[in-house]
Amino acid sequence: MTRYSARVYRLAYGITRNAPDAEEVVQDVFLQIVYKGGGFEGRAALGSWIYRITTNLSLNKRRGKRRELETSLDELLPTYLADGHRAGDRAFLVADWSGTPERELLSGESRRLLEAAIDRLPEHYRAVLVLKDVEELSNEEVAQVVGDTVAAVKTRLHRARMALREQLTRHLGAGA
Amino acid sequence: MTCREAIDVLADYLDRTMPADLAAELERHLAGCEPCRAYLATYRKTRALGTAVARVEMPDEMQARLLRFLADKLRSS
Repeated sequence: MTRYSARVYRLAYGITRNAPDAEEVVQDVFLQIVYKGGGFEGRAALGSWIYRITTNLSLNKRRGKRRELETSLDELLPTYLADGHRAGDRAFLVADWSGTPERELLSGESRRLLEAAIDRLPEHYRAVLVLKDVEELSNEEVAQVVGDTVAAVKTRLHRARMALREQLTRHLGAGA
Repeated sequence: MTCREAIDVLADYLDRTMPADLAAELERHLAGCEPCRAYLATYRKTRALGTAVARVEMPDEMQARLLRFLADKLRSS
């Protein structure tokens, strides 16, 4: 149970970004497991079902809340010239802050910026990001959980990561 | 391959789910394109940082509350 509750909480918090909401989702998920979980044939089916109901309950919990904070991703995606090269100032385009130690990036202003950027991702993008990058599901498994195509999952995941990257680069790029 | 095409396939490249000929084409593009090299490096780092920040573990006291909650529900049902 501890293993499943840890997974459920990580996913619920990852989507709702709110501890009390995530706790309620965990309780609701486990009530469903207690009352409906006996009918599963194998652990794999149960695991997939748990991810699915956790995602749905988390998205429902989040619905209508803090939607005003969500960013339009379009302004955070790369732009291109007609010939397919990136558009923009060259110093910004070649800014590479990836050598900065992770410990440094995960503290202080960079961490706050990244947390806020994750908060502002549209919820369906954040759900895919957490399922793939935190829970380490395959694209096919994520697609099953969220009930969408693999292509749609891959697009959302890539756009979410690009949006986070852009915000970090705007913050860190000048000093890189 | 253009920068647009290169950036479009970075996730598949990092997942190692890209056909070998396309991966080789991307690597040739990267070898000659500093902006795309920077993009790939910062995209990869963003993925690692995002994973670390988005991963929030369940507090121990919440685990204990969950057990009490379920026990109460089972007793009352």
